[in-house]
Amino acid sequence: MSATMPEVDGENMPVEVLALLNSEDGAAFEQALDTMVRQREQHLFRALGLLARDLHGAVRRLGGELAFEGAPSSMADARQHLIEVLDMSAKAAHRSLDFAERMRPEADALSRNAAEVLDFNDSATNSTAVLARQAQTFAEHCCDGLDDMVMAQSWQDLSGQRIKKVVGFIESVETSLLELVRLTGALAGGEAPIAAAKVSSQDEADRLLSEFGF
Amino acid sequence: MKILVVDDFSTMRRIVRNLLVELGFSNPLIQEADDGNNALTMLRANSFDMVVTDWNMPNMTGIDLLRAIRAEPKFKGLPVLMVTAENNREQIIAAAQAGVNGYIVKPFTAITLREKLEKIFERLAASGASS
Repeated sequence: MSATMPEVDGENMPVEVLALLNSEDGAAFEQALDTMVRQREQHLFRALGLLARDLHGAVRRLGGELAFEGAPSSMADARQHLIEVLDMSAKAAHRSLDFAERMRPEADALSRNAAEVLDFNDSATNSTAVLARQAQTFAEHCCDGLDDMVMAQSWQDLSGQRIKKVVGFIESVETSLLELVRLTGALAGGEAPIAAAKVSSQDEADRLLSEFGF
Repeated sequence: MKILVVDDFSTMRRIVRNLLVELGFSNPLIQEADDGNNALTMLRANSFDMVVTDWNMPNMTGIDLLRAIRAEPKFKGLPVLMVTAENNREQIIAAAQAGVNGYIVKPFTAITLREKLEKIFERLAASGASS
C-alpha cells in the first residue's frame, strides 16, 4: 500500500484483513484477495452445481410421473415417449382417413341407387320409395359426418406441432443443464469433459454429473 | 393443374390432397413435399401451377419457402396458398409482405379452401387482364 494513503479504520473488519489492508506488501495483499475471491467462487460454483443436480433430478421425476406405464428413467425416455405419441396419433388419424375414403364411395353409391328407385316410383305410399328416400337422407348425413371426421383429423397436425415443440424444449433444457454442470465442474477445478452438450443417454448424463461430485 | 402440397405431417398432406380432389383437381397431378427444401427442389425440377404450403416445418419453413419462391424470377407468377395454424397478426402480415396469394387457418373445410382458391384465381385473372 502507498505510504500516502490514510490507514483504514477497520472497526468491523477481521484482524487479518485489516492487517493486509495496512500492509505495505502489495503482492501479499493481491494474493490474499485472490484467495478470498476464489474461496467465494468455489462456494458459488458448488451451490450452482448442486442446484443443477437438483433440477435435473426434479425433471427426471416429472418425466416419471408423466409416463402411463412404468417410469421413464430419463428425459431422453420422456422425449421418446412423446415421439411415440406423435406416431400413434398420426397412425390413428390415417386409419380414420382410410375409413372416410372407403365409406364415401359407398354412401355415394347408396344415394345413386336410391335416386334410381325414386325415378321409378316416388309415391309417398310406396314402402320401397319411402325406404329409398330414407337411404338418400342417410347417405347425405353420412357424407357430412365423414367431412367433419376428416376435418377433426387435422387436429392431429396441430397437436403434433405442439408435441414437437415440447420435445425440442425438453432437449434444450437437458442440453443446458448438462452444459451448466460441465461449466460449474470446470470452474470448480475439475476437468471439462469434451462435447458435454452432445450427451444423450441417461447413463452418460449421470456419469458426467458424478464426475463433478454432484 | 399441377399442385405441390407442402407439409411435414403426412396426415395434413393427405387431408389437403383429398380436399383438392373433392374440389375437382386431378389426384395424379398433386404432388407432395415434407419441407421447404424438398419443395424448392421439386419446384425447380418440374413445372407446378400452384403451391399449398404449411408454415411450421423443419429445415425450411413455409415463410422461407415463400420468400425463396418470390426470389426466383421464373416463379414470379406462381400462386402460393399458405395453410397454417399460425394466425397471429405479425405472421399474417409477414406472409402478405412476402407475397402470399392466400392464407388459410387450420383446421378448415373444403368450402373455405374453395373460397380461397377462387379468390386467388379471380385476382390472378384480373391482374393478367390488366397487365
